[in-house]
Amino acid sequence: MKRQRFFATLGAGLALATVAACSGSSTAAPSVPPSPTAKVTGTVEFWHFFTGREEAAVKAAVADFHAKYPDITVNVRGGQDDEKMLKAIAAGQPIDLALSSTTDRAGKFCQSGAFKDLKGYIDRDKLDLTQFPDAVLAYTQFNGVRCTLPMLSDVYGLYYNKAMLSGAGVTDAPKTTSDLTALAKKLTVFNPDGSIKVAGFVPEMGWYENAPAHFAPSFGSKWLNPDATSAIGGDPSWQEMAKWQKDLVDFYGIDKLTKFTAGLGQEFSADNAFEKGKVAMVIDGEYRSAFVKDEAPTLQYGTAPFPTGDSHTDLDGGGYITGNIMGIGKGSANPEAAWLLMRYLTTDTDAMVKLANAIKNVPTTKAALASPNLEADANYKTFLDIFGNAHSSTTPASPTGSQYQDAMADFFTKWQGGKVSDLGAALLDVDKQINDALALATGP
Amino acid sequence: MALALTARGPGPVPAPLRSKRRRDRLTVLAFLAPWLIGLAVFFIYPLVMTVYYSFTRFDLVTAPHWIGLRNYQFFFTKDPKVWQAVRNTAWLVVILVPARMLFGLGVSMVLTTLRRGGGIFRTLFYLPALAPPVAATLAFVFMFNPETGPVNVGLKSIGITGPLWFNDPAWAKPALVLLGLWGIGDLMIIFLAALLDVPKDQYEAASLDGVKPWQRFRYITFPNIRPVLTFGAVTGVIAALQYFTEASVAATVASGKANIGEGIGTTLGYPDGSTLTYPQWLFVKGFSDYALGYASALAVLLFAVSVVFTVILLRRAHAFTPTEESLR
Amino acid sequence: MSGLALQQAPVATALPVPSRRRARKESLFAFVSRWCLVIALTLAFLAPVVFIALTAVMSNDQALTSDLWPRTWHWDNFVTVFNKAPLVRYFANTMLYATLSTAMMLVSSVPAAYAMARLRWRGRNLAFLAVLTMMMLPPQVTVVPVYVMWSKLGLTGSLWPLILPNLFGDAFSIFLLRQFLLTIPQDYADAARIDGCSEFAVMRRVILPMAKPGIAAVAMFSFFFAWNDYYGPLLYTSENPSQWTVSLGLANFRGLYQVQWNLTMAMTLLVMVPVVVVFFLAQKSFVEGVTLTGVKG
Repeated sequence: MKRQRFFATLGAGLALATVAACSGSSTAAPSVPPSPTAKVTGTVEFWHFFTGREEAAVKAAVADFHAKYPDITVNVRGGQDDEKMLKAIAAGQPIDLALSSTTDRAGKFCQSGAFKDLKGYIDRDKLDLTQFPDAVLAYTQFNGVRCTLPMLSDVYGLYYNKAMLSGAGVTDAPKTTSDLTALAKKLTVFNPDGSIKVAGFVPEMGWYENAPAHFAPSFGSKWLNPDATSAIGGDPSWQEMAKWQKDLVDFYGIDKLTKFTAGLGQEFSADNAFEKGKVAMVIDGEYRSAFVKDEAPTLQYGTAPFPTGDSHTDLDGGGYITGNIMGIGKGSANPEAAWLLMRYLTTDTDAMVKLANAIKNVPTTKAALASPNLEADANYKTFLDIFGNAHSSTTPASPTGSQYQDAMADFFTKWQGGKVSDLGAALLDVDKQINDALALATGP
Repeated sequence: MALALTARGPGPVPAPLRSKRRRDRLTVLAFLAPWLIGLAVFFIYPLVMTVYYSFTRFDLVTAPHWIGLRNYQFFFTKDPKVWQAVRNTAWLVVILVPARMLFGLGVSMVLTTLRRGGGIFRTLFYLPALAPPVAATLAFVFMFNPETGPVNVGLKSIGITGPLWFNDPAWAKPALVLLGLWGIGDLMIIFLAALLDVPKDQYEAASLDGVKPWQRFRYITFPNIRPVLTFGAVTGVIAALQYFTEASVAATVASGKANIGEGIGTTLGYPDGSTLTYPQWLFVKGFSDYALGYASALAVLLFAVSVVFTVILLRRAHAFTPTEESLR
Repeated sequence: MSGLALQQAPVATALPVPSRRRARKESLFAFVSRWCLVIALTLAFLAPVVFIALTAVMSNDQALTSDLWPRTWHWDNFVTVFNKAPLVRYFANTMLYATLSTAMMLVSSVPAAYAMARLRWRGRNLAFLAVLTMMMLPPQVTVVPVYVMWSKLGLTGSLWPLILPNLFGDAFSIFLLRQFLLTIPQDYADAARIDGCSEFAVMRRVILPMAKPGIAAVAMFSFFFAWNDYYGPLLYTSENPSQWTVSLGLANFRGLYQVQWNLTMAMTLLVMVPVVVVFFLAQKSFVEGVTLTGVKG
């Protein structure tokens, strides 16, 4: 197929490509047909990021859709990350519907026009946006352009190994980060040669789900100002987070920690360190409970909101929320069918509940959250509560995508490695990096 | 009768010869046509466009937007990581290339002394060079795993605590050098060929005079193999300027990141940017952050540096084009 | 192809035989120390392969430990990897990439090299200079516009952007072929020309048969380059796993399929084997291509 297409365009194409350096595409809102008079048929190319067991659940949801709309065929392609999707859309591949795992690049998707502006469709079909919770509504748009709709979300909290905690005479999950540190030290077991055998809590940034973004809500840390410039240097809570983290890193020693984590199994494999009992407490998303059920059904564990910073106990109950977001690709060949599938997956209560039950993600419509069919055991309930908590928050959208988070992650790498002497100055430098990158990506 | 395409000498040319000349010219053109198209489409045009893009902001989705020198300004004054990438690539040029040269020379000199079994050892030493770079890198990351890898396990058994290798910013590049030494086969073979080409009578004369081994190397071996050493050094530098695959695979695998929902851009350079090379940063900027204009500026600067080394090699071109009359 | 392939080139000068230069008697000390060195080097070069092989047959649990010797032998790991990842697909894609680009490279590069080595024309030296320059410059220098070009043709997400340029000559191959063609005496060709053969016939009937070893070596370099290539497939096919090559599949294997070291090493071994087999089968061609790079100053 590709070959035919190539030879068809070879002569003209090569010549054209040499001349037409600029694509001259516009980012204006798409023209939407007044009403879907004709029956919507055809094929939808649907790209998403899920793999393995979760991918199967998505396929099942798509099969339900096909049963409802037999005239629409859906080609599902899993395992795609944002980078690849953006690349494919930019290169003009006909992706109709794309599902991204983070809201980080919503700004980029919306601003560049990689995802179509949905306003026309929403107005035409009178889609009720109030069915989505406010927080969710906020992260699916950028600068007033709504180019995505939310489809399930991930909520982060603390997982703890009950057997290990009770072995240490503890029953309740820690409430503050000092409690966490004390408990982590208590639960850590060293080998005779001084290396780590079991870690109470691994504080190393970059390991598994340890990311500044996932800890930020527990300290009330602010990322960006409304104009997308950095707010990090001016927010003292970042320093509190950094000091807490470094303190625990130093308890272990960064070398010992790195050695320990290098010998652990992969995060999304059956050798996950928490599931194997090598780590007593971890920060992780609600989906972990589905993995545990699948891979380590005998593990006795509990869940709780992640402990708050010592001076932020008022934030108790909150946590990090991130959503899966869906958009229609710029070069979509069949946007009407894609819109139908998108509406089905993002607003159909039954579809959403079924998918949420299968992969234990948190639904993103009020109706699905309230649905009696939602299987909510105690652990899952923890995350529903965090999701509904007023102190929960997500990472803001920026025209530079997730570059501001990368800058912060780079800072933490240096910080935990003991290469930062002046914390305040280092964070101001992060500000500068973020603002410089923003200036290059936007501006005149 | 050689083809006389180059018109020379004044005066009228007889008609039959002229038509032959035209035919010959067409023949040459026919032989060269595919390459000439390639030269235009895959070399000259992209070079020009790279320069143009480097003055724009371009994300592939929307049209390029002229921003003058801002990409270059960002490079020289603001890019937080590019200097680290430059330093890493320079480190590879300064350490990896000489290390490979010395080791390759050493191994091939050991081989020249073997009277029996030379062929077997030559093949054995050469084989690692055949291993696909991705496979070789994976194997090394596994072997140098700080906790479970055979290298540190072995060191521990003799009472040494091994470093964290690919997980330690200070040891990641040295570990990559070890990987480069393991695949020394290619360099070893050309050095060996050159060593065996040194005229034997010179050695014999030297041994009669009772010359010391070092002097023998300094005054006989070295001058004889110098062109090959130059060739190895310059091609080594050019390969170091492009160093990408091994560093990428090592960083991605050693970081242990699942990479689900993210891209390769977030793990390149692990640990702490210590393996981030210049071409990788270009790749991240261009195809992860989609700052293609800025990536083009990086490309233009890479072009400038590569040209310097290319010119050095072309100056020495006669060293490896012995049968051609001359280049200019 | 890029300058990276340069590193492979010198194989062609391969395997010359050391002479019995120094018949002089040597001391026992020198003898022992030399062989100790050789044995140490042999171990260093072979140890990684041994560790890979041992780990490849370990059980899943043992692969996470620091044991070096398999407690139980899991030969089935070599079968399991085929179920874990679409290995057959990766191998098929890689074969397609390697064979097609090699064939296309020969069709376009042989005539160009012939013209540069055997025909006289104005601008020949300049053209050769252009070939050398193209060969030396890192591919990253032109990557952005070339990528944009292929994306406009709708061919990103496939291996065609890596295969098709070979239709238009490959600088490295042209360079090596030219070096080889220069070593063939002019007399044969002149005789054929006097017999009234066209230039194309001279190339096909007279010169090419004599250039077989050189062509074989160049073809092999091209094949190996494609087989080992990581950067190209990463750039053009990362978003489309059905087009992945073995190198790309291998690099993503551990992260994407969440497997242990044992399976990773099993796949690593499987990727290495074909290259080694081809090398042993074709070692003669390599050796015959000795004069090819002409690096011997």
